[in-house]
Amino acid sequence: MSTLNIMVGSAQGSVSVTVLRVEGDIDAATHKILQDKSSELIDAGTTHILLDLGGVNYMGSAGFRAIHAMANMLGDDSSTALAKSEYLKLLNPTDAVARVIKTLGFDVYLDIYQDREEAINSF
Amino acid sequence: METPLTPTEYTIATLRKCVFLNGLEDSVLAVLASKIEPLLMEAGKTIVTKGETGSTMFIIIAGVAKVHDGEVTLATLKSGDVFGEIALLDSEVRSASVTTTCESLLLCIHRDVFYEALSTNPSAFKAVIRSVLQGKRGLINEIKARSLRLLSYQKEMEIGRRIQTDFLPKSVPDLEGWEIASCFEAAREVAGDFYDVFKLTSSSHLAFVIGDVCDKGVGAALFMTLFRSLIRASSLYGCIGSTLVDAGSENADDSANGVLLNSINMTNRYIATTHADSSMFASVFFGLLDTETGELSYVNAGHEAPIIFRKSGETEYLAVTGGVVGLFPAANYKVETATLNKGDLIFTYSDGVNEAKNTDGQQFGEARILKVATQQIDDVESFLCSMRDAVRSFRGEADQSDDITMLALKYLPSAGLAD
Repeated sequence: MSTLNIMVGSAQGSVSVTVLRVEGDIDAATHKILQDKSSELIDAGTTHILLDLGGVNYMGSAGFRAIHAMANMLGDDSSTALAKSEYLKLLNPTDAVARVIKTLGFDVYLDIYQDREEAINSF
Repeated sequence: METPLTPTEYTIATLRKCVFLNGLEDSVLAVLASKIEPLLMEAGKTIVTKGETGSTMFIIIAGVAKVHDGEVTLATLKSGDVFGEIALLDSEVRSASVTTTCESLLLCIHRDVFYEALSTNPSAFKAVIRSVLQGKRGLINEIKARSLRLLSYQKEMEIGRRIQTDFLPKSVPDLEGWEIASCFEAAREVAGDFYDVFKLTSSSHLAFVIGDVCDKGVGAALFMTLFRSLIRASSLYGCIGSTLVDAGSENADDSANGVLLNSINMTNRYIATTHADSSMFASVFFGLLDTETGELSYVNAGHEAPIIFRKSGETEYLAVTGGVVGLFPAANYKVETATLNKGDLIFTYSDGVNEAKNTDGQQFGEARILKVATQQIDDVESFLCSMRDAVRSFRGEADQSDDITMLALKYLPSAGLAD
């Protein structure tokens, strides 16, 4: 059975940022692990998440649904403006995942960074 | 005042309550009781493991245990319930695991002890056989009941499938100078893919849509009906003041752009706000084709790029012009254009085609799509049949994991001219 490892870290920029480092494929079988973890963290008070996708080689539509749900839970309100989410950003997606992010149009709503420090300071 | 039971008498009473043993005479139960002792198990202890051979039956005196297959709980057992009894009669592997959910007291009867007790009275074997048969009868009744329930679910799914089929076009428009064909194969009874082809009433445009709702099964199918209906309704009708009019009729010069943007924006905004919590989305390619000139205006919302196979042998991809539909209310879509010339074919498809997997886990991929196109492109019907057959043959014994939808249009060469 496929599994997903999620490591939770934190970093301090202008605000406190929770860094989720995900390793494994995010698909129909594993997306719930990411969704449950982020839901648990947000319930416990997390307000800003940097999602590190460096260890994800495949992300299916279930993974994108989980990311959308995360953005919603973090109180993102993209209905009023085209501005990107201030609360959820992506770090270092692999080429394969970056391609799908672009095809599905998620890059329009979520900032993507290659450098961790730059990402933390952008919040 | 009643005399309290001795431990052996208590064990006999417990054994007698057990359906599997209640046909045995007291003398046999007494022999059995004299050879077994209650065992205290801590919470979370796995007593029986699926796949292992066993030779012991267990009776719960007090406590609770769950019968499970991995993470899936199949049943909950409590005081008086029995498990593992089949192991007394044969040496097959355990069919499920059993784990205590709280501290529990159990009686364990080993196969050797059981046969030794039975051998004290020949009629005991008859009683055990009777119990086994009773158990079998119970099982048959349970299977019958479950089969009926399953049949009822299957009927419901079949009704769902039939209703969903009504959301796909029954036939494609017959247009002079054009050939249109479609192919739709659901991976399950109901599908998340859809396609649509219809003529706009306000102009000479033909609308064609292909979409893929994320996820599979019933949830995707319900959203498929919503996406398809919103796109078609908002393409056909609009309002000027309080009057319902044909979409695009107010500004004929820009009708294609207006219809495309109005339809995709409206559908996106509606689903992204009304159904925000479900995080459901669809990739959609929506084209408006002027069938008199071959001019195509389109929005590609996160969908696999349709391919134009030119008569000259060249290919052109209609890349994305915006993100998927249904997630971000303020999404911005662009309209792009392309021109189809006589002899050109446009092929739209869902990812069930290029991502079809064989038993080795390899994907059909774009290269194979192009290869089929070089072999068979004379008419759209046989082009789609060749593509479908190539995907099937590539997949081999592997399951069809996703819906397959294809829609192709060909601008026929002028009559009398060589193809």
